[in-house]
Amino acid sequence: MFDTILEAFYMLMRLDVLLMISAGMILGILVGALPGFTTVMAMAIVLPISFFLEPIVGIPFLIGVYKGGIFGGSIPAILVNIPGTGASVATTFDGPALTRKGKSRKALEMALVASAVADFLSSSGTILVIGIIAAIALLIGPPEIAAILLLSMLVIVVSSPGVFAKGMVMLLIGMFLAMIGQDPIGAMSRFNFGQNWLLSGIDLLPLIIGLFAIPEILIAIENRVSNIVEKGSAKPQGERLRWSEVMASRQTILRSTLLGGVIGMIPGVGQVVAAFMGYSAAKNASSHPERYGQGELDGVAAPEAANNAVNGPTMVPLLTLGIPGDNITAIMLGAFVAQGLRPGPQLFQDQAVLVYAILFSMLLASVLLLVIGYFLTPIFARVVSIKKAYLVPLMLIFAVAGTYVYRSNPVDLYFMIGFGIFGYGARKLGFDVTPLVMAFILTPPLEYAIGQTILLSRGDLGGYLLTERPIAIAVMILTPILAFWIARKQSRRTRTPSSKEAAEK
Amino acid sequence: MLSIKSMMISAVAALGLAAGAAQAETFPDRPITMIIPLGAGGSHDLNARVMTSVLPSILGQPVVVQLMPGASGQTGTAAAAGAEADGYTLIFTHNFIDQLQQFVTTLPYEPNKDFVSVVRLNTADPVLAVRKDSPFQTFDALVEHARANPGQLRFGHSGNWGATMVPGLALFSELGVQATLVPYQGGGPVMQALLAGDIDFAFAFPSVLSGQDVRPLIIVGENQLFDGVPTTKDLGLDAVTEVGGMQRVVLAPAGVPEDRLNVLREAFLKLNDDKTFLTLMGRLDENTAMMAGGDYDGLRLRQSEKYKALVASFK
Repeated sequence: MFDTILEAFYMLMRLDVLLMISAGMILGILVGALPGFTTVMAMAIVLPISFFLEPIVGIPFLIGVYKGGIFGGSIPAILVNIPGTGASVATTFDGPALTRKGKSRKALEMALVASAVADFLSSSGTILVIGIIAAIALLIGPPEIAAILLLSMLVIVVSSPGVFAKGMVMLLIGMFLAMIGQDPIGAMSRFNFGQNWLLSGIDLLPLIIGLFAIPEILIAIENRVSNIVEKGSAKPQGERLRWSEVMASRQTILRSTLLGGVIGMIPGVGQVVAAFMGYSAAKNASSHPERYGQGELDGVAAPEAANNAVNGPTMVPLLTLGIPGDNITAIMLGAFVAQGLRPGPQLFQDQAVLVYAILFSMLLASVLLLVIGYFLTPIFARVVSIKKAYLVPLMLIFAVAGTYVYRSNPVDLYFMIGFGIFGYGARKLGFDVTPLVMAFILTPPLEYAIGQTILLSRGDLGGYLLTERPIAIAVMILTPILAFWIARKQSRRTRTPSSKEAAEK
Repeated sequence: MLSIKSMMISAVAALGLAAGAAQAETFPDRPITMIIPLGAGGSHDLNARVMTSVLPSILGQPVVVQLMPGASGQTGTAAAAGAEADGYTLIFTHNFIDQLQQFVTTLPYEPNKDFVSVVRLNTADPVLAVRKDSPFQTFDALVEHARANPGQLRFGHSGNWGATMVPGLALFSELGVQATLVPYQGGGPVMQALLAGDIDFAFAFPSVLSGQDVRPLIIVGENQLFDGVPTTKDLGLDAVTEVGGMQRVVLAPAGVPEDRLNVLREAFLKLNDDKTFLTLMGRLDENTAMMAGGDYDGLRLRQSEKYKALVASFK
């Protein structure tokens, strides 16, 4: 065992491995930072390059793209309030507020540190207990996924800022929007009003860009501010992150890592759910929760650590069973098989050194993320010093181009503009769009899982859950208790009106 | 070993940059777009990545993959149907999206009028598998149980009227048995559900099955892929053999000028002479049973008839 690990370590210590991970990572960060380009797209495009590299170079190269892409997605979320993916929506709660205060560099670096640390810890944890995680992954089926998704949606509404009823309204709108198209089980068309262009439903990307970017642009024009950063600071991007600030957030980072690591076992939506749960948990545990949403460093650290902690566990079914849980791991699987390697129990026995070397490359990638990010964040942070007269049109170009480039469907542009106007109205009326986005992301998998559960039960839902699905039952019992606890904790607090409520008056 | 040259070509192609000097009068003189009406990371995506890493060395132009998933493949297919028929837009799809869907839903296009075949890239035979510790040792035992307990067996598949559902339906309709169909989002989740014991059986392709703790019971097709496992051809289930297998095909919008269509058809057929292509497809466990576009167009019409009858038998 020890020999294997040592050998794997030597295998990895090559200059070309380091260079290729770094190259992949820089590419990933750049692509991730552009709205409309997803990490999955970037990986699919560079996949053929890995075909022609040695396994120990090619696969870590893709891991680099993956990790870089996920961090890259947080950059526009922090700087200009445009989350590129569902996973970075929670980062927009405090990131842009920090940018406005002239602390964009601090925020980016906090996101970087939290991401890299959580990623490193979750990958190490994964390597240590890979067998246990693999066994648990098999216990998570449709009933458990449905129960966990219900729990997360409830937690998100309860802990979202503002009036509960307003949050519920947005949640229901999000659920409805997610249902347009075809039903996931029977593939029947619904809510498409006889229109073919509604048949494939609404895509997440035009919705997110519309709801976040367009109101941001409109409000920037309205306010006639010449700069993003509120006046008064010499350097608009502000200072670097201090060691003491990292230490102050260490508890938040660890909590989010643990949460993300556990949630990472839900395939597909793990990152989105983890980011929100991490944020809610940090806010609940904080001694000054009223500062969340106003530009709190912990509010950036929490979701960033949580969504990166998901990375380790998602690789487990791929490596131990050869089963990809989402698109990213499916591309990884492609890279493995094109090398003549078939992930699964057999590979662990036959090529243990290589498998461990690849696992270690995940650790190496998180260290490299820290190094590369350290050099790249100052460049990105400078975006905020661009005059608004230039930045606002640029944002509009990126919003439009990003929406279109995603799947080259002009309909997406109409959706983006429609959601933009809706988002602007919602902001003016003091409705937080977060529950809408969350419901939109989580409803399809929830509906799918419920449909599957009903089919699996073969007509006896109660009996099936009680006799065969103890984990699902436990989560369902926990849900109201947890929601009640969070709600009580919130109502006990003396609330100070948040900035959004103040803006409304 | 794979050459540096092919690696460079693929890298250039992958980035979508025009390779080399454009020749003024020849086709193609700019990059070709290949739409895939399915998501990233699936078997079509992987097959396409292999094709597009080799095609530039044959066509002299990169082929850019464009993933357009949605509405069970209709989004991408509709886009391809609406594209200009100049040979610069192709679609890489499969027989179920191409020929079966027209009978289960209203499509914004007509498959047999709007598209012509460029090539059938390869085929894949679905295999019915159960978990290693399943009580069903043979296909007959499974069928017998299903007959005695209609609707009790849980059959997991990766999407309605898709590649792992149709072979099952064809088998059931032939043998007159019933099972409960449970859809999953893709082949990976189906396999996980099978291993977890959530479902009783599922269909998967050989590339997915190898190395897993599962037992194959029957192969839909004529290739003897596993020793001692019967094929539907062995059992005389010809109707199932004909409609159950997956065929990955490249189509072009109808109306592409004859000379350009021929350039494309020949280029794809030349893939089978390329060592890199064969090596990579071999590693992916995919066969390279190519069929020329002209021949495949005939097959499409016959598929159409068969699927019409199959769908009608379930309505």
